[in-house]
Amino acid sequence: MNSLNLSSRLLLRQSRSGSLWMLIAGLVVATAAISAVTLFTDRIGRALEQQAGETLAADLVLAGRTPIAQDIEQLADQNQLSSSRMIMLSTVLFSDQDSSLFDVKGVSPGYPLRGRLLTAAQANAEDRATDQIPAPGTAWIEPRGLRILDIEVGDLVYMGEHELVIDRVLTYEPDRGGGPFMLSPRLLVNYSDVETSGLLGPGTRVNYRLLVAGAETAVQAFGNRVEPLLQDRQRLVTATEADNQTGAALEQARRFLAVAALTAVILAAVAVLLSAVRFTRSQRDLIAVLKAFGASSGEIMRALMLLLLWLVLLAVTGGLVLGWIGQQAITEILSAQMTLPLPFPRWTVMLGCAAFTLLLAAGFALPPLIGLRKVPPMRILNRSLDQRPSLGRIGWLVPIAAALAIPVLQLSDLQLALLMLGGSALLALALAIAAWLAMRITRVLARRSRGAWRFGLAGLSRRQGASVLQITALGLGLMSLLLLMIVRAELITQWQASLPENTPDHFVVNLQPDQAEPFEAALIDMGAESLQVRPMANANLVSISGERPDRDRFTGQVNLSWIDQLPPANEVIDGEFWSPGATGQISLSERWAERVGVEVGDTMTFDAGGQTFNATVTSIRRVDWNSFNVNFFILVTPEAAALLPHQFIASFYRPESAAEALDELARGYPNASVLDVGALIQRVFDIISQVSRAAQVVFAFTLVAGLIVLLAALEATRDQRRTESALIRTLGAGNATVRTGLLIEYSIMALIAASLATAGAAIIGWLMARELFQFSYQPSPMLFITGFLVSFLLVVGAGWLGNRSVLKTPPERILRAG
Amino acid sequence: MSVSNASHATPAPARSEQILSAERVDFSVDAPGGRLTILNNISLSLNSGQTLAIVGASGSGKTTLLGLLAGLETPTNGHIELAGTQLNELSEDQRAALRRARVGFVFQSFHLLPSMTALENVMLALEIAQLDQVRERALSALEQVGLSHRLEHYPRQLSGGEQQRVAIARAFASNPDILFADEPTGNLDRSNGNAIADLLFALNEQHGTALVLVTHDMKLAERCQRIAIMDDGRLSEQPPE
Ligand SMILES: Nc1ncnc2c1ncn2[C@@H]1O[C@H](COP(=O)(O)OP(=O)(O)O)[C@@H](O)[C@H]1O
Ligand SMILES: [Mg+2]
Repeated sequence: MNSLNLSSRLLLRQSRSGSLWMLIAGLVVATAAISAVTLFTDRIGRALEQQAGETLAADLVLAGRTPIAQDIEQLADQNQLSSSRMIMLSTVLFSDQDSSLFDVKGVSPGYPLRGRLLTAAQANAEDRATDQIPAPGTAWIEPRGLRILDIEVGDLVYMGEHELVIDRVLTYEPDRGGGPFMLSPRLLVNYSDVETSGLLGPGTRVNYRLLVAGAETAVQAFGNRVEPLLQDRQRLVTATEADNQTGAALEQARRFLAVAALTAVILAAVAVLLSAVRFTRSQRDLIAVLKAFGASSGEIMRALMLLLLWLVLLAVTGGLVLGWIGQQAITEILSAQMTLPLPFPRWTVMLGCAAFTLLLAAGFALPPLIGLRKVPPMRILNRSLDQRPSLGRIGWLVPIAAALAIPVLQLSDLQLALLMLGGSALLALALAIAAWLAMRITRVLARRSRGAWRFGLAGLSRRQGASVLQITALGLGLMSLLLLMIVRAELITQWQASLPENTPDHFVVNLQPDQAEPFEAALIDMGAESLQVRPMANANLVSISGERPDRDRFTGQVNLSWIDQLPPANEVIDGEFWSPGATGQISLSERWAERVGVEVGDTMTFDAGGQTFNATVTSIRRVDWNSFNVNFFILVTPEAAALLPHQFIASFYRPESAAEALDELARGYPNASVLDVGALIQRVFDIISQVSRAAQVVFAFTLVAGLIVLLAALEATRDQRRTESALIRTLGAGNATVRTGLLIEYSIMALIAASLATAGAAIIGWLMARELFQFSYQPSPMLFITGFLVSFLLVVGAGWLGNRSVLKTPPERILRAG
Repeated sequence: MSVSNASHATPAPARSEQILSAERVDFSVDAPGGRLTILNNISLSLNSGQTLAIVGASGSGKTTLLGLLAGLETPTNGHIELAGTQLNELSEDQRAALRRARVGFVFQSFHLLPSMTALENVMLALEIAQLDQVRERALSALEQVGLSHRLEHYPRQLSGGEQQRVAIARAFASNPDILFADEPTGNLDRSNGNAIADLLFALNEQHGTALVLVTHDMKLAERCQRIAIMDDGRLSEQPPE
């Protein structure tokens, strides 16, 4: 009989008995959990990315200081992508009354590729979405621009060689960006007008951009093609990389979802491990019988592997179907609260999940299965000849590593994956060692004790291998569930709190030094909250430790500020921040210092309007850019105020009731500009609230999957237990002895698993908060005490309930089955 | 339908032909306390259709000898010839191929596969032996042991005696030349044990199969044509009465 035949017969025949169903059930749960969670998190991730596309007005942007070649635009065409050209520059514009520095943006048809422009017919009229762009010869202006140039809609502005008619008021551009550095007002014009304005000569800082958007794969393909063609000082920008709060919120959002996905991965791995081990154990007798009756080991191996393959394929298919239903269910639950339009689930993610289970099953089940080839046929006569399957060679790590690489690649967050999966691997090791040591100790104790204790302790150590596996599986499962609790209870709450009700949503720039104090007082009067007023100088960085710095988008013109103490949301990571009264010192943000290559001890010289300021870097700060505070890359000691020409900027939260008062105030300071970033904050707020809600549901789903895995782990040794307790009852032990014995056995397992799981969750949670979420996280003892107690009770309770039937079955029946 | 006239992969040997012989067989293993000799210089031979009982105290080496004779294990020294083939010269897989064509087994603890029904357990052995009409043969074998009404039962639904009957049906279904039985009644009560022994000898007679029966039950041993006694790894044959 050939192996194919044998395997299908074994499959068909064993299928009715239920022994194979345990393997299938484990694999189905694993595949369903991981596919539901990754499918859903992938959908949300892509939805967020598309949303984030709005902050770029595109899916991908090629930006540079030189015009973008025609071929690259054609490349976008070839990839079925829509594209649009854009030029940005800073220039002084004139009206008949006044002049001022403006940020001019020239756009071509199609702009914005993502998101929409809002415009109004008059300064205070209601705004509406539009799909148009300014026609040649016309311009759209930001409301404060009207004030600054002292003009109205219909008037002229002069831009280089062109006269442009102000056509509409621009109230919203999706890619306006946030933060305090949007100093100049916006003028939106037609691309061709900028090109022919005569302003693009050498010496002007111009930013040329090509915006592209389209299908994910096409965008990716385009990015890959363009990457090698990039010229000096050209770069590709994606929404998440864009240095803004939306990007940061997206990054956090993705991490939270990845935690859920990785938890599902750990649980799935545990489920697959348990099922695979049970499967190979159950095939042991089969192999000895087949061998005694004359099947060759080659035939047996081929048949078993095929059998395993059938089972895995069957289970994976079932698991994927369930997983698909699961993610759909999560979507349904959230549909009332989610405003994000979710893209369709991806096939590649499904395939990844299928490959994950397949490889993991191969990694966990094949080595012991191949080991079974060596089961001596003599075992059939003499059971003591049974050897343990050796896991001696480490070749089996290859498929497991490959399996784990799949979610890691899919999530593309190596740090988080290493932390969670590496942490779990270490924990598994610790659990196995602790369990093994405990088995040795219980063996000694069992000899000295009597009655129920003896039965319980001896039971544990008699099933040493199974007990070690069981404790490891329980511990891993508990740890990942506790980790979810920590993330849910602490990190997500902190995330939500990172954007409080009174987050600054207005910025004021261009306040003259003598205006700062009265303006601040007026803001306080009108009830502005979270108010900060800070000086700012725009200067040229002329030398670093005596050398001219490379021209870079971070150097050249820079903004700096001064202060006499460390501002909030800043943390010194190198050197020491100055104390009040110090002079001649500089403190840099970590990111800026790394980019420019400046370290503590370097000196820097700035020049503004013929005045120079020279000082030494004495500290490097880590800045929480997620906070909507006014923050600066470069801080200097306050004596700079006397040397550098400067202005003041303010940030604050404007209560709804103060809207008119603020307009009034702004009219009294025509030189200052008030910027409303409420829309941007709303966008970040939406991301945070939607993702944290989604995370709650996904976490709950994962929790259920985790409980199933834990129950399966407890179920693993039940048959054996049943036979044993029947035996000792036959030998005259009372039910009470058996019951207490079981309780003791489960308590010991629960104690080891729950204590190590709690410790593991605490350490991984702490590292995660610190390294990845950059939250200051204080592990709360209450959470861990509760976590430990719940875990302990869960294991003992579930094990106990599951084994009640052991006590109910008459011993005679059990012994016959044995 | 009679099983004995079914076609067979290898022609049945003539009655008087020698089916099994062992020559100066030793078996020793490395044990924690040094080398342990389990079987010491054992020789025996058995003709087709003959029945031989091996009796002896528990731990004297009976099971080990049976395993060697059936080719489940190879001796440390000496030669064993089974169905005209020198076992020493065969690989494990070749020995398996020989077993599948010529050898049947009955074990003390039955060794039915718990996940298969009675019928499937018998069919599996026939499939491994690469015979045709597997289902018919299995049905007829189970009928011969009186279990036609329990075909679809799983081992856990059968009594010990019934499980052993399934095992006997499985052993005879492929019409082997020689049957090895290791304490086939050891796990059964006396009346069930007797019934199983009757069945075993009846089928043996009917199929003309040679039988090597390991037991510590003298009564059972006496039903064989020859009796050999195992004592601490040495075998001595009782002269026929
Ligand atoms: N592979 C082996 N390794 C170690 N000891 C063995 C091995 N095989 C058999 N024995 C020992 O040899 C002795 C004989 O065993 P066995 O043949 O099963 O005896 P019997 O069947 O007569 O009761 C026993 O003490 C048994 O433990
Ligand atoms: Mg024996």
